[in-house]
Amino acid sequence: MSDQGLRISGLRCSVEGKEILKGIDLVVEPGKVHALMGPNGSGKSTLAFSLTGHPKYDVTGGTATLDGESLLDLAADKRARSGLFLSFQYPAAIPGVKVPNFLFAARQAVRPGELTPSKFRALLLEKMDVLGMDPSFLGRYLNDGFSGGEKKRLEMLQMAVLAPKYAILDETDSGLDVDALKDVGESVKALRASDEGKNTGFLIITHYPRILQHVEPDVVHVMMDGRIVKTGAADLAHRIEREGYDKIREEVGAVA
Amino acid sequence: MPSLLATGEDRAALLERYRSTPSGRDKPSRYFKYDLESLDVDATAAERASGNVTFANVPPRAVVCDLQSAQRDHAELFARAYRAALEPQHKYAFLTLAYGGLGAFVYVPADCAIDEPIVVRYAGGAGESLFPHTVVLAERGARVTVVEELELGATGFACGVSEIVAGDGADVTYAAAQFAPEDARAFSTRVARPARNARISWATAEMGASLAIADVAITIAEPGIEAAIASLFFPTGAQHADVVSTVDHRSGDARSETIVKTAASGAGQARFLGNIRIAAHAQHSNASLRDDSLLLSKRAHVDSIPALEIAANDVKAFHGATVGAIDEEALFYMTSRGITRTEAERMIALGFFEPVIERFPTEALRERLRAALERKVGAA
Repeated sequence: MSDQGLRISGLRCSVEGKEILKGIDLVVEPGKVHALMGPNGSGKSTLAFSLTGHPKYDVTGGTATLDGESLLDLAADKRARSGLFLSFQYPAAIPGVKVPNFLFAARQAVRPGELTPSKFRALLLEKMDVLGMDPSFLGRYLNDGFSGGEKKRLEMLQMAVLAPKYAILDETDSGLDVDALKDVGESVKALRASDEGKNTGFLIITHYPRILQHVEPDVVHVMMDGRIVKTGAADLAHRIEREGYDKIREEVGAVA
Repeated sequence: MPSLLATGEDRAALLERYRSTPSGRDKPSRYFKYDLESLDVDATAAERASGNVTFANVPPRAVVCDLQSAQRDHAELFARAYRAALEPQHKYAFLTLAYGGLGAFVYVPADCAIDEPIVVRYAGGAGESLFPHTVVLAERGARVTVVEELELGATGFACGVSEIVAGDGADVTYAAAQFAPEDARAFSTRVARPARNARISWATAEMGASLAIADVAITIAEPGIEAAIASLFFPTGAQHADVVSTVDHRSGDARSETIVKTAASGAGQARFLGNIRIAAHAQHSNASLRDDSLLLSKRAHVDSIPALEIAANDVKAFHGATVGAIDEEALFYMTSRGITRTEAERMIALGFFEPVIERFPTEALRERLRAALERKVGAA
């Protein structure tokens, strides 16, 4: 089926009048892992926010479809309900909203009526166990007073609970120690191994290749100055690890 | 009308004290229309002073009775606590005293721990005025929770006083949530005077009334005290609410925590003044004041003023405040999980109050608060 996938074509996006994305073409197929790499400021997070519908990101051209459904005219909540998920680099803290209440509201929104509250709780505890999360998370307010590592774990828990069709991980690996990094890798693997997530497509946005030691990508894209300048197999990531971005920059010539 | 207490003072003198005592509050502004210096309450209230008091969960080892019984049957105890925590600056308390008579006395003997909250319920009919005066005396090492309920009729008026006198190491929690009709007015003065090592916790909420005026205060005159004030208020429509909290550290080696959450929607007007005073000799005081305001409409207005007067040099004093609309990044985060914007706004607004709601001692009261807040958020 040719319309399957998270299909991005000619996507342009401006933030406060400045063009950041200058025509992105990218297809994440169901069940595949794509890595999007690039130096800071290349537009990786802008791609994540423009796909998920952040109101500050102004899409000025191109298309984006999720299994055939056009995303760009939808509000953020409808994009999530069609199966898109973003693991935030900097998740917002929401005092007074308890983690399980939020997760239940989100699960009900994305997959309405599938689970009773008690079945949901069982699912939540099971997923927390897989992620090695302490049950005390359940008594806390959403991201309120969380350490960087705790926030990333909670993002991974949300991904596990919502089991999206396509998950974008926006530098989920940044600022994590070796163990936490491994846990992120395990979260992706656990979702892919689950019934709900076996066809989930991933777009893993990262600056450093180290997360890719835990999750082997099928495809690696390199982004610079708002464009994808190179696409290759997993070994492209290893090359970046060895050589850095400058070599690739020279190779693809001056962009913008 | 309940019979007056024999205090030896006459009403005219008390009313004169009411009129001549400054409110300590701001003048009317383009936002806040009432002049709290010169409200005409005394002229209208007198004829209609009324109401009754009932009790629930009265434990066998405590005394819980109306003021007349307290004065008659427990004269000595009552005299130790009645007006013992009030201070001359409490303007609205003079109005309560002038029309006094309705009220409750709660006495807990030394080392007596009472788990079930004692409920003191004041009720009045349409157009009636209530001047309830609740006096709590907790002896050394006693522990008690009091929940004050106030049911006002349409266009009703209440001007109440709650006083806590707590002995060494006593532990008193007092919760009062006001859900008066929107054409009523509700004033309250709540004061506590704990002895050394005592714990005092006020939890108050102003949900109803066209005009709500609330004073909540704790005077720390001895070391080792732990004082907590948690308040929320949420004027909607044309409601006005003015809340002043005061923690007076007159002795050192004590701790206080004040948490206030204010929201306003419609043309709701809120004013909050948070006083923290630490006297020069009150070294090693630890005081925190956290006040957050949430604006849910363009016409709503919140004035939140922290007033920290710290004369001692070896203290810890924290103040944190926020004011603003619901954070767009928080809304995007929630909507990116599939939750609608309306539902996300509701969850964020209700969550905003939760740290104060958690301070209320019964689940029934917390649920009533959440339901009332939910209606207010839904109408915003």
